[in-house]
Parts: sequence; structure tokens; C-alpha cells
Amino acid sequence: MTAMNDTTSVRDLALSTIQLSKDYGDRPAVLPLDLQIPFGQHVALVGHNGSGKTTLLRMVAGLLDPTGGSARIGGHLSGSMPARAALSWLSDTPTFYDDLSLREHLEYVSRLHGVNDSASRGEELLARLQLENRGDDVPTTFSRGLRQKAAIALALVRPFRVLLVDEPFVGLDAAGKQALLELLDEAAADGRTLIVATHELAFVDRVQRLLALRDGELVYDGPPGATDVHQLVRAG
Amino acid sequence: MNEAALRAMRRTRQRHRLGNIEWFDAAYRAYLVGLFGGGTVLWISSSVHDATVSAAVAADVARHAPAILGLVAAVALLAGLRGGAQGGPVALEAADVMHVMLAPVERRRALLRPALQRVRGAVFISATAGAIAGQLAGRRLPGTLLAWAGGGALFGASIAMLWAGAALLGHTVLAHGRAPRWLATAIGLVVVVWQSAAIYVLVRDSSVTIAGPADAFGSLALWGWRQHSSDLIAVVVGVAAVAAGLLLLGRISLEALARRSALVAQLRFAVTMQDLRTVILLRRQLNQEHTRRNPWRRLQPVARKNLTSVVRRRGWQGILRFPATRVARIAALSVAFGVLQAVVVRGTTPAVIASAFVAFIIGLEVMEPLSQEVDQPDRTDSFPIERGELLVRHLVAPAVALLPFAIIAGIAATITLGSIDAIAPVAIFALPNMLAGATGGVVSIVRDAPDPISATGNSATQSFVPPEMAGFGATVRLLWPIVVSAVGCSMVFALRAAADSGGGTGELVGAAIRGAIGSVLLALLVGYWAKVRDRVRRKIKAFMNEGRAQALGAR
Repeated sequence: MTAMNDTTSVRDLALSTIQLSKDYGDRPAVLPLDLQIPFGQHVALVGHNGSGKTTLLRMVAGLLDPTGGSARIGGHLSGSMPARAALSWLSDTPTFYDDLSLREHLEYVSRLHGVNDSASRGEELLARLQLENRGDDVPTTFSRGLRQKAAIALALVRPFRVLLVDEPFVGLDAAGKQALLELLDEAAADGRTLIVATHELAFVDRVQRLLALRDGELVYDGPPGATDVHQLVRAG
Repeated sequence: MNEAALRAMRRTRQRHRLGNIEWFDAAYRAYLVGLFGGGTVLWISSSVHDATVSAAVAADVARHAPAILGLVAAVALLAGLRGGAQGGPVALEAADVMHVMLAPVERRRALLRPALQRVRGAVFISATAGAIAGQLAGRRLPGTLLAWAGGGALFGASIAMLWAGAALLGHTVLAHGRAPRWLATAIGLVVVVWQSAAIYVLVRDSSVTIAGPADAFGSLALWGWRQHSSDLIAVVVGVAAVAAGLLLLGRISLEALARRSALVAQLRFAVTMQDLRTVILLRRQLNQEHTRRNPWRRLQPVARKNLTSVVRRRGWQGILRFPATRVARIAALSVAFGVLQAVVVRGTTPAVIASAFVAFIIGLEVMEPLSQEVDQPDRTDSFPIERGELLVRHLVAPAVALLPFAIIAGIAATITLGSIDAIAPVAIFALPNMLAGATGGVVSIVRDAPDPISATGNSATQSFVPPEMAGFGATVRLLWPIVVSAVGCSMVFALRAAADSGGGTGELVGAAIRGAIGSVLLALLVGYWAKVRDRVRRKIKAFMNEGRAQALGAR
């Protein structure tokens, strides 16, 4: 699955990494990793706690400086302006301004991404995530689950080609999980690339490709049905 | 377009913030700070009646001060380069990192405002400190107070710009794999060592001089007295460093911004709460100062396992994991402490306040094991031991650990005093003096332990304190530990009295013994307070409850 045709340009790839690695002092978090994910693919990233999932995603998002190698989004170095325009990052730790309401957040984020009229998309997302009554509240006052829903709305209100998601189901109730799954399915159906790090192994069945990390090393890259996922996520 | 959105939303947020401000309250706070802060500084300054220096001493100051004060600039450069290489000085709120920095917005433009705010804040604080120090110097040296305050402010502002510019350049040019980690420190150290060499040569042999790289900064501090136009090069260097740093803002690491954003929110809260201890703790984290994985020395198992030995051992385990940077910082603070105490002996009374502040910081640094205990109240209270008994035992290892730093301070003081007669009294006085100065740190840490009264009693009554008293209470809370350190440091006046009376070595030694006894008594008193604080507060509370119950019964 990782071996791409030699003629494939990195511009045709949603994500490509070349010897991407990260260590914290003397502790390696991600060992040198070569990865190629074409546009439109739906990928799950699994691994035990501390396996390097979040570190990998944060490097791809441009939030962490790699110790070695590089990551590209659609051929653009991660963190560069075109990469930022193409990539939406849904973190496992939602962050908000404490002086903006949720609707103001939605307006701000979409305008920063060049969308002038985001009201209808914003309202649709609020409705689907059952946040329509909380749109004028400040999200820093929300519970964990509501904060996660607000973060999902912010990640999806702006245009993107690649969606990076880290542990999106944490804190969500059943209705919230269902709404998120539907939104992710729609994004995938629209041809967006989804890369989702998760411990929800039930979600793995919905993806086309499974990546498994163990102690910072890629130990599986292939279709989800061809391996024992439970075995993969056990610490080494 | 995207930048326009950024500007528009920043305006909106500013409107929200301004809308949330209680203007009367803010004006009242500004009035209190201006009146009490400024007034107190001027009152204390004017109540010190140190004699105007002689013409010979003034000439000596004019000759030596540029190089010595230039060392402040050299250290600021070192601190800036190191801080920048470790991710400083710009800090954004976490939401800005996530939403603005990850948006397709030009980062340099988005970062310009927070960077300028950082520079502005540093310049304001440093210029204020410079003005205060300047007007104090003006009371002993030729020139008007206003001119000295202005010169001091200019000196402080230049130092702050040098620091901020160095930090911005350290981050954008040297950090995050662009250069080896040690390079920023090495560049800064070269400047500090060069400047120190210039001072050494100047002090040792007045006929030979080496121009220090930061002499112009030091000379700027004397503008209240005499003005050399060549000193303006310091201002130019400061402004140029900031301008260059701002030009390269786009190279700032998002990883550093993300890491700092979480800590900065806590830091701002700690500053709002005037919690100096937390501010220092968070600054360590901002500078990525981690304890050593391998201690300097592993302790052997002990056979005796009574409470004292267990706590003492835990203290040493913590101290032996101090990183080299913290040890170097405490050593540098010890040098400053020794010099300032010597300056008091030589006749500059206000230096006792500065030395108290330095000793207070040393106390906070060295008393880390005690600090860790207080910061884990649930664990501490789960031990079947009275908390005071535990806390007082935590003072033993740090007190012993102060010894090498007291020796460093003693050497610095002896060199500053410049007399062989000073060696014996300094040797007697150094450790007790530093111990007494560090007691302010102990007070600051121990009082942060959970209050045994509010846990069982009704603390709501405290919320009915009028705002004036609440403000006064907050000020006392902020200053009380530093006052305790100042009392400890003021034992040095015993030596000054002996020196002023022109006594010989015997008299100086006698004064040192008296000062040492006073210092030890203060340290013992603070240790006893740490031991019985909870017990006394509980007794007071029980007494008050009893009185209240009797009053209700009588009714």
C-alpha cells in the first residue's frame, strides 16, 4: 500500500513523509518514517498510549518541529501557507478563546481561511452536533463533551482537503459519536482525505487503510481486515 | 483578506475585553498603585540619609561604573539568547496557536503585535526599575534626582531592548535545529567573560584598561550626571536588535509557541495573584528547565530510618537532581548577594532591599524539596505526621546545601570590600547571613500550604473584607516574605556600624559574630513558625469558636 508508482508526484499525495522522526532528548517518539497517503483515502492510525500517534499528527500539522526528515501536505511542506490552507487539524485537547462565543469562533476561523459567509455552514454544524442552543455561549465554559463538539464544528466549518483528527470520540455521548461518524463519512464521500488517530477499534472497520505504531515505529500498514487490531495496539 | 479577518477579530476581542472592564475599579487600582507604589518608593528613598560621596569616590564611580553596569547588559544578552534558543520570548494564547497560526495567514504579521507587546512590557518594567535605581544613586552622586531617574530609565530601557532583541534573534536564528544548542549560551558567555575581564583589569590596575563590549550600556546609566554622546550606541544596538528580531518573526517555531502557550496562561494568572513563587516555578518550565535524570551523586541506603533522616534524605535526593543551569543561576545570584551586602557595608543602605530580594529568590530556589512537599498537599496530609513536623525537617538539607553558595557570596563580598581585614568577618558571617536572607523564601513556601482553618471553619467571612483592606492584605501577602528576607539581610548593619566606627579586625569579627547570632536566631524563629503554624492557627480558631458559642449561649 505504501509503495507508490515512481511517477506519482508528491503533489498528488495528501500526505507524504520522508524519514520523518522526532525524539525528545534521548527518548525517540517517532522513528524515521516514510509514508504516502493519496488524496481521498480514509486512514485510521492506531497504537498503544505513547506509541507516537499524537506526535506524528502534530508534526504533520506543523505544530511540532521534526527532529529529522520532512512531511508534506499536497506537496507543500507542513506548516507552510498552502499546507495550512489544505489541512484541518482536530486536536484531542480543544482550545478556545475565552472572550468569544462559539458562533464568533466559527466566524473567525472561517474568515481566517478566506470564507466570508460561513453562517449557513456554521449553523448546520451546530444543529447536527446539537449545539444550536449553545452557539452564543463561550465554549471555554463548556463540559468536556461539549468542548469536543465545538472543536469538531471549528475543524469542519472551514474548507480543507485533508482532515487530521486525534482521538475525536473522547468525551462524546452516543449521539455525539454518531453525528461525528456521519460528518466524517460525508467528508470522505466528498473526496477529502481523513487521517484519524483513535483507540475506538470499532471505527477501524470504516476506513480503507490502517496504520499501526508501536513505540514510534510503523508496525502495520495495510487494509484493516487483514490483521488483528487488538494485537497491534498492545504495548510491545 | 485573511489578515483583514485577523485585524477585525482582534478589534472585536478588544471591544469585548474593554466592555468587561470595571472602569471605576481599574482607575482605583491604578490610583492605589501610583499613590502607594510611587509614594512608597520615594518615601523610602528620601528617608535613607546616606552621605553624598566624596569627590574621590565619585571619580572612582565614574571610572568603574560603565564596565560594572555593562555587565548587567552582558548578562541580559546572555539571558536573552538563552531564552530565545529555548523558545522565548513571544507567547500566544493556546487558541491563537491553534486557530491563527494554523490558518493561511502570514505569520510575521500575526506575530508582530504580540511580539511588540512583549518588548513594550519588558521596556516599561526595566525602565521603571532603572528610574528607581537612578534616583537612589542620585542621592549620593552629583546631579539632580530627575536627571538620574531619566538616565536610569534610559539605561533600563536599553537593557530591556537588548534582552528582547537577543531573545528574538536567539529564537529565529539559533533555535530549533538551526544551530547547535550550546551556541546561544556560548555567544552570551563570551560577552559576559569579556566584560568581566574588562572589570577585573580595571579594578586590579587602574593604569591599564580593556574596553568591555557593553561599556556603552553601563555608561548610559550615568547620564544623570554626565552625558557622552558615544553612549547612544547602546540605544542604537538595542533598537537594532529588536528591529532585526521583528523582521525575522516569521521564523518563530510553532512548537515553541504551542509549548509556551499553556504555561503562559498559568503564568499570567500567577502574576495576577501576585504569586511570586509560582511565577518563578513557571519561568523554569518555560525555559525547559528539567531536573536531572541522573543525580549528581546517588545516595547510599541508610540504616537509620527515623522521620528526620527520611525527610532529609528525600531533600538531598531532590537537591542532587538540580540541573546545572539552576546551580549556575543560584551561584550567580549568590555573587550578586555578596556584592550587594558589601555595598551596604560601604554605605549604600538601599542595597539591602535589593540583596533581600536576591536572597528571597535564592531561598525559593534552594528550598525546592519543601516546595514540592507543600505543592502536594493531599499526599502530605495522608502521612500520619503533623504537617509542621514534616515541613520543619525539610529545611535541614537545603540549609546545608546553601553552604557552597554562601562561600561564593563571601568571596564576592570580600573582593568588593577590597580589604584583607574583611576575610575573617565575612567567613563568620556569610552562611548565617545567607540563611537568614533565604528565610523569606521559606515563609513564602510554607504559607502556601492549605490553611487548616478554612478547611474546617467558615472562610466566607473573609470575603466581606472591604476592597481597601483586601488590597492592603494582598500587598502585605506579596511583600511579607521579602520583608522577612530584608530583616535577615539587615544583620549586615552590625558590620557596617563596626566599619564606620573605624574599628580594627577584632571589632569587625565581634560585629560579625553578633550579626551571625542574629541571623541564626531569625532562621530558628522561621523554622519554629513553620513547625507550629498549623497548631497555632487551629488553637486560635478553637478559641474564637468557643467565644462565639459562649456569646450565643449568653444571648
